[in-house]
Amino acid sequence: MVNVEDLRKEAQRILREGKVKYVIGYEKDQNGLLPKPAFIEEPEDVARLIWNPTCVHNLTKFLVDEKKRKALEKKPDNRPVGIVVKGCDSRAIVVLLQEKYIEREDVHILGMSCERNGVIDEKKLAKKLKGQNAENVEIDEDGNFVVTSANKTIKFQAEELLAERCLECPANYPVIYDLLLGEKAKKKAAEPFKSLGKMESLSEEERWAFWTEQLSKCIRCYACRSACPMCYCDECVVDTINFAVTADTTASEKAGKIKWVEKSPVPSENFVYHMVRAMHLAGRCIDCGECERVCPLDIPLRFLNKKLEKEAKELFGYDAGFDPNKPSLVSSFKDEDPEDFIR
Amino acid sequence: MDHNTYIPKLAKIIDIKEEVNGARAIKTFRTQFLEDNGFSHQSGQCAMLSVFGKGESMISISSSPLVKDYLQFSILKMGRVTSALHEMQVGDIIGIRGPYGNSFPIEKWKGKNLIFIGGGIGLAPLWSVLNTALGNKKDFGNLTLFYGARTSKDIVFKQELEELKNQMTVHLSIDVEEPDWQEYVGFVPLNILDKKPSAKNAITITCGPPIMIKFAIQNLQALGFKDEQIFTTVENKMKCGIGKCGRCNIGLHYVCKDGPVYSWAELKNLPQEY
Amino acid sequence: MDKILLKKALHQWVKKLHAYRIYAPSKDGDIWTYEALTGSEGFDPDFRTTALSPKKIIFPQREVYFQFEKKDGDNNSIKETLPEDESAIVLGVRPCDARALTLTDKVFGGDFKDLYYWKRRNQTILVGMACITPPSPNCFCLSVDGSPHSKEGLDILLTDLGEKYYVQSLTKKGDQLLNLAKNLFTQPGAADKRDLQKIQTESEKKIKRQIDNLKKVPPKLKGMWDSPFWDEEAMSCLRCGICTYMCPTCHCFDINDEIHSSAPLKGERIRTWDTCQFPDFTMHSSGHNPRPDKAARLRQRIMHKFQYFLEIHKNYQCTGCGRCVTKCPVSIDIIEVLEKVRDYGS
Repeated sequence: MVNVEDLRKEAQRILREGKVKYVIGYEKDQNGLLPKPAFIEEPEDVARLIWNPTCVHNLTKFLVDEKKRKALEKKPDNRPVGIVVKGCDSRAIVVLLQEKYIEREDVHILGMSCERNGVIDEKKLAKKLKGQNAENVEIDEDGNFVVTSANKTIKFQAEELLAERCLECPANYPVIYDLLLGEKAKKKAAEPFKSLGKMESLSEEERWAFWTEQLSKCIRCYACRSACPMCYCDECVVDTINFAVTADTTASEKAGKIKWVEKSPVPSENFVYHMVRAMHLAGRCIDCGECERVCPLDIPLRFLNKKLEKEAKELFGYDAGFDPNKPSLVSSFKDEDPEDFIR
Repeated sequence: MDHNTYIPKLAKIIDIKEEVNGARAIKTFRTQFLEDNGFSHQSGQCAMLSVFGKGESMISISSSPLVKDYLQFSILKMGRVTSALHEMQVGDIIGIRGPYGNSFPIEKWKGKNLIFIGGGIGLAPLWSVLNTALGNKKDFGNLTLFYGARTSKDIVFKQELEELKNQMTVHLSIDVEEPDWQEYVGFVPLNILDKKPSAKNAITITCGPPIMIKFAIQNLQALGFKDEQIFTTVENKMKCGIGKCGRCNIGLHYVCKDGPVYSWAELKNLPQEY
Repeated sequence: MDKILLKKALHQWVKKLHAYRIYAPSKDGDIWTYEALTGSEGFDPDFRTTALSPKKIIFPQREVYFQFEKKDGDNNSIKETLPEDESAIVLGVRPCDARALTLTDKVFGGDFKDLYYWKRRNQTILVGMACITPPSPNCFCLSVDGSPHSKEGLDILLTDLGEKYYVQSLTKKGDQLLNLAKNLFTQPGAADKRDLQKIQTESEKKIKRQIDNLKKVPPKLKGMWDSPFWDEEAMSCLRCGICTYMCPTCHCFDINDEIHSSAPLKGERIRTWDTCQFPDFTMHSSGHNPRPDKAARLRQRIMHKFQYFLEIHKNYQCTGCGRCVTKCPVSIDIIEVLEKVRDYGS
């Protein structure tokens, strides 16, 4: 069983030895169930770090933030940052390494195994507790989830509360790490891509109606894009103005920038935004589920990315985020790649 | 019936003058409303120009309110809307709504010496108040203009500046030496130090690139000008022009509504977020 | 006027309002949002809080300002597109959301009245539902001069007394709605008035979160412009727009032209919601950005709500609905931020 003290000890060591600038981890939120992202700079503060099934966030987005911040500094501190990651999060780091967005020396990875389990789904928990708030969730030696709510503890089978993606997870332990806590044990996942079954059984008209209804709700807050570590472009397809502007950018270049998507949150534009984003993530998404978790209107975004993940697997035998030395799917080809579109 | 200020009035471009060519092109446009609508403005105010299909851009009205036949705008080609404007021809139709913003408190300046300090395109927002003062010359003391640009090719209103020299003191400058240039060589703020205008009973109005304004104010203060005697105009990204969309908000102000004209005494107390 | 409406008569009253377009909280999965009732369903009063406030009915996320067209040989033509005439009622408005509308009223009024906003505002009647228990664990209306039974901005306020509603009609528009079903409403008795008082007092005690001495915050903010506090607080911010889009008092917007055809030119000028939290909000065409980083943008949000708006309009630009706290993906908590500001330096 993972002992959070081991995590704190290692975090303290690398901070004390000056090996990292700061450690990104999870800390308790006094006013909510989910933890807050923590940025620990002082060795004395490592007691703030926690580890339990409420640690749902994918913290690797902050590695992207760190890189963008360094790019603006005149004399950046080039030491790595420490980061606490789960299996899925570590695969996001692998993708960033494959794409050469960050270097291996930029991160000191503190890997945490989910120990055959995973993280909770807040909504499932809320339903079980019938509206009562939960204060904490811990995992016991038998792999059950122990929920603290209104000063009582309630035990649940993990499957009752696990996030959908955890039920389909191919490897719930980090695939890349400087330290690994917990077993490298692969739990028996449900049939991979099982959650797509219902969607795939719908007809084209039914699917169109489903997505029209869902994407009409979208308010284009871009939380899905903001939470995704793989959405690191300086200038996104939805941006109507140029971000990458320098003193040499001419007025004509700025005037010529094509507006691919209007700002209006109407179904046609929302479709384009979400479909393009899903395509740009094909072969890159590692199903951390953040996009769906952060959506304030509960749009089931995971379906889009999961479908493309399945296509990547079926068409090209590709699994995202396992091997940092492998070229990324969309920037490489093999002779045996299917060519049935060539007529 | 409340007036819907978001609806632009249609206006025809009646004259286009190329002031500066090349990458930092500047053109001066004169426009006439298709229909009489009682539009009148004060010096310092701006209007939202519409290129239908491209968008809007807030531009200061550089013609003086004394001019009744047209509105004049000098526009630097910078992005989508201004590029579209630069491609227009005489006779093309644009939309104009406004006037928006506050104006130079020119009534309070009667009897004083007025010193206008402009850099590059910054002469355009000054042009209105400068010509209003010239049109009522007897109400004011001495009128002086300091104006400079990067090179002689970047100077706007070249012809008008020549004529101006007959009516007021004009000190021109360019940043770097050029073969036929007879006047001052150096940045505008340094030209101010060179000519040492007196702070006594004077008001200065400065407009230009932020860095020029910064050093101009410093040098004016060194010459004894008080913060209440120094005026400038502020630029910020704007969309609605009426203090509602939030874009140009700085501190307690919306630049489109409470500005763009500020005295340094007021502006130094606002967050430096523009 | 004060009346009593039996709970079982609520349905019948709503039926009598069929001449109006009725918006009410409706459930979609786990999320409640204000949607137009289509006739068969009634108003379900058992909702807690909605994802988006009823602001979206008065100030929709997309508003067409005008249509423009240039036919060959003709001049450009502009066709103003003010909102259609539509008498509307919003049922189940929480006091915080109604109070928020009185704040957006201040922004969209004044010089240059925004006719699009006011057309919708004037033709919409707001029927409120007092909060017996806090709809959200993050409610803090009391700290920002609000209350779970505030009447500000409402035309009618309903308070659940158990088997019946205590109905307070606050405006002529509210009276009109009651008059459409006079027979359903009875006079309140002394016991009813006592119950109302009791419930109101109890509801205030149930609000768990509060900010003590919030009035210390605005003067503190003035001195915190250059403080590294903002970098620390904004460290985990993801730069999405959730806090501002969910907020019932936020009003920033963008104006863009959308072209349907280039030749002949045909299109619309559209207003959409916008947020000071997006990096391009303040960016100039030249590339210069007065608020280039998250810290500056978080600072703007807090200062605008708790200092600038306060000084201009004499109200905090926040009604304590708690949506930003609940929905922030990284749990940035405005209550905690304000407490830290209040105690900063001490």
